[in-house]
Amino acid sequence: MVHNGKIRVAVDAMGGDYAPQEVVKGAVLAAQKDDVEIFLVGPIDVLKRELASCKLRNGTSIHIVEADQVIREDESPVDVIRRKPNCSVAVAARMVKSGQADALVSAGSTGAAAISAIQFMGMVDGVYRPALVGSFGSFAPNTVIVDLGANVDCKPHQYLDFAIAGSVYAKRFLGIADPKIALLSTGSEDTKGNDAVRQAHALLKNSGLNFIGNIEGGDILRGKANVIVCDGFVGNVLLKFYESIGDHAKEWTQHKLRRHPPLRALVGLLFDKLFPSTRIAGESERRGGGILWGVDGVVRIAHGASRAPQIANAIESAKEAVRADIVGTMRSELAKFKQGGK
Amino acid sequence: MNVEEQIREIVARITHVDKSIITRESTFKEIKADSLDIVQALVAVEETFGIEIPDEDAQKFRNFGDFVSYVENRVAQKETV
Repeated sequence: MVHNGKIRVAVDAMGGDYAPQEVVKGAVLAAQKDDVEIFLVGPIDVLKRELASCKLRNGTSIHIVEADQVIREDESPVDVIRRKPNCSVAVAARMVKSGQADALVSAGSTGAAAISAIQFMGMVDGVYRPALVGSFGSFAPNTVIVDLGANVDCKPHQYLDFAIAGSVYAKRFLGIADPKIALLSTGSEDTKGNDAVRQAHALLKNSGLNFIGNIEGGDILRGKANVIVCDGFVGNVLLKFYESIGDHAKEWTQHKLRRHPPLRALVGLLFDKLFPSTRIAGESERRGGGILWGVDGVVRIAHGASRAPQIANAIESAKEAVRADIVGTMRSELAKFKQGGK
Repeated sequence: MNVEEQIREIVARITHVDKSIITRESTFKEIKADSLDIVQALVAVEETFGIEIPDEDAQKFRNFGDFVSYVENRVAQKETV
């Protein structure tokens, strides 16, 4: 995976609200470290101009790779396959597939990155679609949730893929040897939930995985399970609700305590100190977050509004995922699962 | 393996459904294929048979049978040429 001691990262230079300027700056920032070689993918003229405006120290490993098409936000991500196969994110995906790069980083459309990964890199054998995994951080430090939004409509067998992806995350990033897996539903009984959840329950129960059954929303933060499995629609709603709790609770208490200024200030300080850690995305960014799990290669999605520091962080976490060999681990976990083991 | 069987294999592999449930009357909706599944299937069929399927033609497929008939015709035309 590593080439001459460096991890090679293909960066979709045209993806993101502030591309290419901030993406190029972020890549230059990340390239200051000696353990990385960066390939900026996009139109050569544009990227040469952007790079010329950056200060590069001698020996910086940063290159430009031509991609003459760009996928716009208003275009369907599926267009990447038939209409825009030479857009920057697709070219970057093919670089990973061909072994020219170890990881892909994109702040562009998540759909376009996911579709490029599926089509041009392929999935780990047996996995249908990529999933997003995240850790709950402080409130439930040993709990992760899958899927956080990559798959809004799910087929029952996808919940199995999510369970395996979550297990790999829990093992590699949380150090849990045999993660307990639960299905998020509207009740603990097998019969609770919608059709897909009920069918998924039967599949998980007979999977040989360490499946403990259904849990309800109220159990999530109690740490009953290490891996909570749900579809991307539920996961994304839950993610955003959870991340809003801190700010909302702070506003509410500040309002309630408006007639008690010293107490109000003290409580405000406490919230500032404690509640940033409820951010799943923020917590997870350092540990496998934003990674498209299940793809046959490392793909790191950065937020569309990323500026240079966030792009540099995304490159850093892609390197971490390469070092942790998440793809190889996922493959071996699936192989064990197919043989009926844990 | 004939054209129909090859396309059935491709569609089953991409959609992760048992190929036995795909009949000529099956719609993509019935086999729960989404837009990405359909595009992936089109690309895979194009590569397998060395043909191009324009979007305007693909949009006319009402079911799996239409897809198969179209490809059978295109393959036959190609062989005649």
